[in-house]
Amino acid sequence: MAYVSMGEAHRRITEYLNRFCGAVSYQDSPMLCRLLSFSSNSPSLLSLADALNVFQDASILIRQSDKFSEYGEILAHLFRSLQSYRFGNLVEAYLAFEKFANAFVQEFRNWESAWALEALYVVCYEIRILAEKADKELTSNGKSPEKLKAAGSLLMKVFGVLAGKGPKRVGALYVTCQLFKTYFKLGTVNLCRSVIRSIETARIFDYEEFPRRDKVTYMYYTGRLEVFNENFPAADTKLSYALQHCNPKRERNIRMILKYLIPVKLSLGIIPKDELLQKYNLHEYMNVVQALRKGDLRLLRHALQEHEDRFLRSGVYLVLEKLELQVYQRLMKKIYIIQKLSDPARAHQLKLEVIAKALRWLEIDMDLDEVECIMTILIYKNLVKGYLAHKSKVVVLSKQDPFPKLNGKPVGS
Amino acid sequence: MNRRSRGSSSSSSSGSVGGASDSYRRRSDVPRNRSNDNTKGGDSADVSFIVGTCSSMCPERERVTRERLRDLSVFERLHGNPTKSSSDLAVKKFCRTLSAADVQASDVRPLSVLEETLSYLLSLLDSREHPFEVVHDFIFDRTRSIRQDLSIQNLASEGVIHLYEEIVKFHVISRQRLQGCSGTSISSMHHLNMEQLAKTLTTLYNIYDANRKPDYIYENEAEFRSLYVLLHLNTSSGVMGEPLSLWFRKLTSNLIKSKEMCFVRKLLRSYRNGNYRSFLRTTASEATYLQYCISEPHIREMRSFAVECINNVCYKLQPYPLLRLSHNLMMKEMDVESLCHECGLEIRTDSDGSIVLPTKQTNFCRPKEGFRNYDLIGIEVERLL
Repeated sequence: MAYVSMGEAHRRITEYLNRFCGAVSYQDSPMLCRLLSFSSNSPSLLSLADALNVFQDASILIRQSDKFSEYGEILAHLFRSLQSYRFGNLVEAYLAFEKFANAFVQEFRNWESAWALEALYVVCYEIRILAEKADKELTSNGKSPEKLKAAGSLLMKVFGVLAGKGPKRVGALYVTCQLFKTYFKLGTVNLCRSVIRSIETARIFDYEEFPRRDKVTYMYYTGRLEVFNENFPAADTKLSYALQHCNPKRERNIRMILKYLIPVKLSLGIIPKDELLQKYNLHEYMNVVQALRKGDLRLLRHALQEHEDRFLRSGVYLVLEKLELQVYQRLMKKIYIIQKLSDPARAHQLKLEVIAKALRWLEIDMDLDEVECIMTILIYKNLVKGYLAHKSKVVVLSKQDPFPKLNGKPVGS
Repeated sequence: MNRRSRGSSSSSSSGSVGGASDSYRRRSDVPRNRSNDNTKGGDSADVSFIVGTCSSMCPERERVTRERLRDLSVFERLHGNPTKSSSDLAVKKFCRTLSAADVQASDVRPLSVLEETLSYLLSLLDSREHPFEVVHDFIFDRTRSIRQDLSIQNLASEGVIHLYEEIVKFHVISRQRLQGCSGTSISSMHHLNMEQLAKTLTTLYNIYDANRKPDYIYENEAEFRSLYVLLHLNTSSGVMGEPLSLWFRKLTSNLIKSKEMCFVRKLLRSYRNGNYRSFLRTTASEATYLQYCISEPHIREMRSFAVECINNVCYKLQPYPLLRLSHNLMMKEMDVESLCHECGLEIRTDSDGSIVLPTKQTNFCRPKEGFRNYDLIGIEVERLL
């Protein structure tokens, strides 16, 4: 920590106060953003924190001038938070920032135009990040983490402030996305439902008015929710939207979208090119894709096991498991193609015994009863067209299109 | 005894979905006790919970009141007298309108008494004197009161875990045995039973999470967690509200790799892929008694599905022998007949005397939601409590 003289501390604090009040008076949003962005760890904020520490009671300075004392409450909490932040007392920093945020939002409400929207975004972002850090501190001290939950409540309040008829309403989607990130982190995704309902059904909101960046984030999260609920067509629509409208330079974001879009597309029978997987470093899907292409059930099971933790954490494991039926379909098609080459007249008859043999080559031991069961399901779900002559232990394939493609619809619909 | 939680919650956050008044609360979530208003600061170390002092299964004043009002269950009557009970027979009733402010310590039973109470209640399960609905009703209500006492005192030790586990078992066994009962109130009893099963499980999971040491799982935790999966095999019937994919995210690694979780995940895979053979065989060979009970509706579902598929895809000129079907579905042949009828399908006797299911019938319908469950032939678990 640098040594700061009393005089220098006085100067720094006063300079900040002037900047702050100036920003508000002249509606200088970018300046205000810089002044509030703790997580940027900007040198000026850090040096301000050092100054505050030396000066001890900055409220004297605030009270000195009418211009400053107008925002006395806001500034007092802000300073306290910054000091705690500088010293790594993240729980204290959070608590003070929460008070600051409440006071700031009150003030924001009184400003008629939406000039400070970007600054409000910064406040929302900072409070979430601070809350996450505070919770880490709590957990490491053996206490229960509750600050992120509190931040969620505050964000809801901000949402309420923006959900009105005026120009401020375009900010609602940004806050929504901050709420999504909060709920996803907490695991309480069911809470997303009420904000989604507000955004999608309230008359005051026109979805097209929202900034593009926020729309992409929104679609990404609502798309992920559809994946959790296994509504694949809806998930496809939303995640594809996010992908299409995402800035192509933001490779990390594209990768995140693809992480969820790929299992969805696979469930709809659409297989990505290897180049795509490689470009965005999605190697965990390579074997899955390969298994689907080759009808290799053993490879699919192996791939799921190899990346089990990762797939479970991201929530796509169950989706990928369900691809088994498509893999079986592909395997049957291969058997059919091979038979066609050697004995075209009888190629459309798949003996259960032959299928069992093919599975044994894949090191999968299945008795004829289970093979019959699998074939029954494949036919029932329209992955195979034909019928089962159980007495003869053979599946008779339809002469036309015996292995219908999914064509963008999930299996069995 | 009454262990204060040090709430270290590793990687799981117990976002308690549902669980109302029964859910175990972290100390920091509980509103401050009125008498502590003058203390400053955010630390909740001074929140106090009631410590119960009632030494019998039913608080004395409640017993006296109920004797007077003739509000005694048949199990509580001394020599059948509707106005007389005893401290050996009376058990505290569940009180819906209870608020924490009105409760006195003398009305609340401490853990040791609750353990005795539960033991006594569960011993009644074998009673042959009364029809099961009556037994269930009594134990249902009285265990709810036990949970209430646990919740008010915010107890969360291993002994408490054991109590909740036993109560879950009661609800599961009841589920099974109510099937054998008839009467107009059975279906609502069943519904309420499932509701309380869900609530008890939620609370149990919260307690597992709340005091967890890293990488530790409790003795029976894997089995009781696996019940959640079995209650949610069908994604559209959310008994407890959260999609399975989301739920799995929160499990620790050793839970996921446990034998019980691997078993239900295998079942889940079979169920979702429609593989009735694998589903039935896996259940028969690996299910514990509790898991089997909870799986029963899905066993039924898989069997009807199998019949539907077979009817749909099999060659019309080769009707499906019931004997084979009974082997595939692990059922007695006469049960298969019964199932086919429930599905609206006809069976007939072939020229060589064997009973067959003609396929490509058009009247198939999913059997009504009922309790009719057929035995799972080949199941290896013992059908005992």
